[in-house]
Amino acid sequence: MLYKHLPLLPIVLPLTGAVIALLLSRSRSLQALWTLATMLTALASSTWLLAVVWRSGQPVVFQSGGWAAPFGISLVGDLLAAVFVVMSQLVLATGVLYAIGSKDSVVRYPTFYPLYLMLATSLSGAMLTGDLFNMYVFAELLVISGTVLTAVSDDRYGTEAAYKYFYISLLASFFMLLAVGCLYVSYGTLNMADLAQRIAVDTGRLLLPGIGFLMATFMVKSAVFPFHFWQPDFHTAAPTAVSAMLSSVVVKLGVYGFLRMTTLLFLPQAETIRCLLVVLGVVGVIFGGLSAIGTHNVKRMLAYSTLAQVGFILVGIGWGTPLAIAAAIVFAFNHSLIKAAMLMLAGYVASRAPVKSAGFDVVTGVGRSIPVAGVLFFIGSLGLAGIPPTNGFISKMFLFSSGIDAAELGSLAFIGMGSILTLVYTMRAFQRIWWQEPSGGAKAKPGGDHLLAPAILIVLVLLLGLWAEPLVQVAKDTSVWLGNPADYIQAVLGG
Amino acid sequence: MELLTAIAIGILFAIGVFQLLRRNIIRSAIGLIILANAVNLFLLSTGAYIGVEPAYVSNTTGVLSDALPQALILTAIVISMGGTAFVLSMLYIISARYKTSDMDEIDGLKN
Repeated sequence: MLYKHLPLLPIVLPLTGAVIALLLSRSRSLQALWTLATMLTALASSTWLLAVVWRSGQPVVFQSGGWAAPFGISLVGDLLAAVFVVMSQLVLATGVLYAIGSKDSVVRYPTFYPLYLMLATSLSGAMLTGDLFNMYVFAELLVISGTVLTAVSDDRYGTEAAYKYFYISLLASFFMLLAVGCLYVSYGTLNMADLAQRIAVDTGRLLLPGIGFLMATFMVKSAVFPFHFWQPDFHTAAPTAVSAMLSSVVVKLGVYGFLRMTTLLFLPQAETIRCLLVVLGVVGVIFGGLSAIGTHNVKRMLAYSTLAQVGFILVGIGWGTPLAIAAAIVFAFNHSLIKAAMLMLAGYVASRAPVKSAGFDVVTGVGRSIPVAGVLFFIGSLGLAGIPPTNGFISKMFLFSSGIDAAELGSLAFIGMGSILTLVYTMRAFQRIWWQEPSGGAKAKPGGDHLLAPAILIVLVLLLGLWAEPLVQVAKDTSVWLGNPADYIQAVLGG
Repeated sequence: MELLTAIAIGILFAIGVFQLLRRNIIRSAIGLIILANAVNLFLLSTGAYIGVEPAYVSNTTGVLSDALPQALILTAIVISMGGTAFVLSMLYIISARYKTSDMDEIDGLKN
């Protein structure tokens, strides 16, 4: 096949870029520009991959090292992986833009940009790989680069939040290793296509512990309700450019894992997993929404909001009809754009506040002298709450209509309530920052972070709200693909 | 040998989880290290004892040992070594800041 090396590009480009960026650490501006160029090239390559995969109608599989499928590591660019990689790299590219315009001292840390590129590498790698152990390696790389970026944050408690996260993530990676061991001893393979084929015909002795450990891993990765406790601290303490990435695209790795588990790996057990996902999702929506209302910090509020929004996506995966899975994919894509933009705007407000903090007592009234950010934040809030001219409306409408279609009215009522909570907390934040009088005559500082990156994201939010057909069509096609795991298995093992 | 390994894994898990739940932050990091070794041993036991002859060595008869779990734990050991080093370095910064190793007194994130 002509394009068979294509799944390699989104992984290798940022990886090479990271090494070269490390060599450029003497000149900060050159390093930043190099990182931006690398991210844009990687974004172009992953978009190319998506275009090729979507047009040709079959997955692009690369067998690394020329080893045939179940023995070597295969990189599989199917439509799901391609959509998620494009989403990640789009948001990561705007994150570089934000970092370049940021006044945080952390972006002048010599290894900031190389680590950032490693984050991009590992995220693309974990999504494109077709091998369970390889996914573990990339997930570990993701955790380490994200943690280092937070540990050097300007926030006083960055190191502690990073420690908390890293501790939990190490436990999660032990869970993943245990799952790898359980599946290997039962089936003698770690290739996901091969595993799926074998699991479909025979129940191994250690299959159920394997499923449980893998569930726990992905639940920690995407901060699903009972394993969420590290997430608000971590996403609040991280530097803005990084926390916008962590809260939008990095948590999507768990979502991707759940999609793979229910549509490819564990098809005979998928019903049980889906049941669990619906319950966890509903609890996450309600708990995240209520906690977000109770916070005193804009960034922390948005971190809890991620908990709720991931809950919506899990409910979509849990309903499990083709329409609901398509809705979950659309929701994941749109949420990444909105949440990254909102966190960048919160960071921008914090950078203009008298004391650098995103606490409500500090930022109250700061917004009165920065109306442009207010407009962007307002549109972002509409997106988060799901109100018409934005893409958030498309994703919520699609999700709710798929719920009605699947006749899941009980969980639908719960997430409907949860979606009203979104409106409460975003509007309260908007009102406190842009409407209320500043307390004690605090004025916004002149200068601050640059607004270009959140502006680009908000434009995309509006654009995808007004012209949603392409994304919805891709998501629908993806869910059709996910309905035929035999094609995936055939492409990996027979190619 | 399998029984011995199983007992060793069980004991290591018990010690690791016990240390993990201690209030002392350094003890809990040591618990993490012990747990890493227990997991690696578990991974090794998934395929190492089916055959005992070394694979990829010429002139051997009998059932060959499975080389893949060994490759897997080699990777896992390296990763957990890096992770442990990073945990300990962050631990150093934190305990230097608070001058204590009691988790209840490290309360910067609580407000």
